[in-house]
Amino acid sequence: MEPGGMAQHDFLSQPVSMGTTIMAASYDGGVVMGADSRTSTGTYIANRATDKITPLTDSIYICRSGSAADTQNLSRYVQWFLEQHGMELGDEPEVKTAAKLAQMMAYQNKNFLQAGLIVAGWDKHEGGSVYAIPLGGTLVKTPFTIGGSGSAYIYGLCDKLWRPNMTEEECRAFVVKAVSHAMARDGSSGGCIRTVTISKDGVKRTFTPGDQVPVAAGELPPPQRAVPAQV
Amino acid sequence: MAQAGGFSFDLCKRNEFLEARGMKGPGFTKTGTTIAGVIFKDGVVLGADTRSTAGTTVADKNCEKIHYIAPNIYCCGAGTAADTENVTGMVASQLELHRYATGTQSRVITAMTLLKSHLFRYQGHVSAALVLGGVDFRGPHLFTVYPHGSTDSLPFCTMGSGSLNAMAVFEAGYKDDMSKEEAMELVARAIRSGVMNDLGSGSNVDLCIISKEGVEYKRNHEYLQGKTYERQFPQRFAAGSVPVVRERVYDIRKAVTVVEGEPMEMES
Amino acid sequence: MATALPVRAQVPAAGQATKQHASWSPYDDNGGTVVAVAGDDYCIVAASTRMSTGYSILTRNKSKILRLNPKCVVASAGMQADMETLHKMLHSRHVTYQFNHRRPMSCPATAQLLSNTLYYKRFFPYYTFNLCAGLDDEGRGAVYTYDAIGSYERVGYGCQGSGKELIQPVLDNQLKAASPLVLPQQQWLSSLPLEQAVDLVKGAFVSAGERDIYTGDDVEILIITKDGIRTDSLQLKRD
Repeated sequence: MEPGGMAQHDFLSQPVSMGTTIMAASYDGGVVMGADSRTSTGTYIANRATDKITPLTDSIYICRSGSAADTQNLSRYVQWFLEQHGMELGDEPEVKTAAKLAQMMAYQNKNFLQAGLIVAGWDKHEGGSVYAIPLGGTLVKTPFTIGGSGSAYIYGLCDKLWRPNMTEEECRAFVVKAVSHAMARDGSSGGCIRTVTISKDGVKRTFTPGDQVPVAAGELPPPQRAVPAQV
Repeated sequence: MAQAGGFSFDLCKRNEFLEARGMKGPGFTKTGTTIAGVIFKDGVVLGADTRSTAGTTVADKNCEKIHYIAPNIYCCGAGTAADTENVTGMVASQLELHRYATGTQSRVITAMTLLKSHLFRYQGHVSAALVLGGVDFRGPHLFTVYPHGSTDSLPFCTMGSGSLNAMAVFEAGYKDDMSKEEAMELVARAIRSGVMNDLGSGSNVDLCIISKEGVEYKRNHEYLQGKTYERQFPQRFAAGSVPVVRERVYDIRKAVTVVEGEPMEMES
Repeated sequence: MATALPVRAQVPAAGQATKQHASWSPYDDNGGTVVAVAGDDYCIVAASTRMSTGYSILTRNKSKILRLNPKCVVASAGMQADMETLHKMLHSRHVTYQFNHRRPMSCPATAQLLSNTLYYKRFFPYYTFNLCAGLDDEGRGAVYTYDAIGSYERVGYGCQGSGKELIQPVLDNQLKAASPLVLPQQQWLSSLPLEQAVDLVKGAFVSAGERDIYTGDDVEILIITKDGIRTDSLQLKRD
């Protein structure tokens, strides 16, 4: 006999899924990638400080949304392919190569995967670039893109706020603002905000703890904590 | 015929047919479990309860859920008992061979990668939910591994049916850079909350402390409750209650010769 | 510039297509075990006090026994809401009976009433597993055991609920259940002295508490004799 209320937290049969907000935007000289930090199994938050922005090479990163297992393992394959490709090339792989590789994995295995991806990075040929790879395995090069369940809430905001030729700081502020608004409305996005900024000067990470995420309209400000967060 | 290796899927078609006709498959021993781990100042503490269940009955009142992976790595398992035991055993043996080949200490991330690759390949059908912890040259590491093959790296984590109870304790009591004693008490308290409040978890608390100095495996670190009542009129069977029908004595010395063995030569 | 799709747009992931919506059920099993043993001039009724759902404990102290009068009680395991409804119904019928007849209902009469009450809901049963126990008109111990829809029979001892598979065989063994096929028919009453019978019931509950996850915390024990109802209790493991 199955115990009656097992459904309340069935950690075995429910796949771990990242109901997510992810995005990437290009600016003059590079790209900024952003993500919330929530991973859930059903209604339970399995990880509230997830890093959904995963390195593929030193200067190419991938934002992951959908099944945690699928996207993590897909990313590992792409990392491995790019490492071999980089050795054959004798140079850093291009962002478009990484994006194509991820797209091929997503497209050829589309029946078995749930993966919404954004590949972005910097290379010496094209500078900063952003590629969107939504669920079916389409590949689109785009100045900016948003993804995950939380993205539905911020299409208008992003269309309004994004503009070409931003500075690095302006672009990062845009990403943090957009992700924070998605987190405010989407129940499966939340926690902290992570950004990764990639330019010819290298990679910079920022981390915005939960109680320092910008407060959206109608929200109560978070309680003050005794010990300030170490960022 | 000898098996070529790997799982046998010979009877899948037959079982599919039988199940379609309404036959129920056999039940498995699931460890409705509380397992947990934290990183402290110079290592990790892993903890587990010791109840294993088959449906609503307790199959084992004192089982071991903290499995050996490498001398510096251990792993708590929740889910189907057979899966957690075999998957940790397979990774332990792969790592041992890897150590023979490379002569270096195993890394926790290697164990984690082997586990997740295996679990991902089986798409969640190998139901092992794990808390993996250890110390290598990079310091202490703690991971959760889900049955579908996703992993999280966290300073404190819980798994199993009692994971919510244990996580409540961690969220309230975790601090960065705890001492060993603080960490042990926190993990024990987390497991205890699972044992007392989650029906899938019970009996005793096992702990495993891994640091650069070595491993302390504290089997039955806490024994929470014994029997609450002794029978006043116990049923005792007097000697001779079972009649002896026949007695036969064999002198095995006639059939066996004892030979002194020589110690095997070992290369040094 | 809208290129990204929200996740979960079309393709259900492998393994996720099934069991998205847990279908709602009017029934829930709240667990618990009840035992009754009839003696020559006594009746023991015992019930564990844990109430659970799924893998969580709702309370560690819930009585499952309805005391109708000093010679008759009803003990129920199964779903708490149905148990409460059933007990309320029996209580009210018992009060009405006392108005009409100026005496408490006898144990055999209550047993028949309980059967009728259960069968009344034949096609949407009370999810309860009951024992009716007390002393009969001759002052001998009486235990009646039921299925969920009112089939009942008088027995020497009975056991219902989540721990019945563990306890019933012990009682069968210790109380020498006479097979109904053995002729001449043997009497169903336990020949054990009261203290030994209580000890047996306690021992059975302790063992069931070790192996059944829904049996634990405490046992409420009622000892019914011609002098009235005496209570006893036993602590079980709380894990």
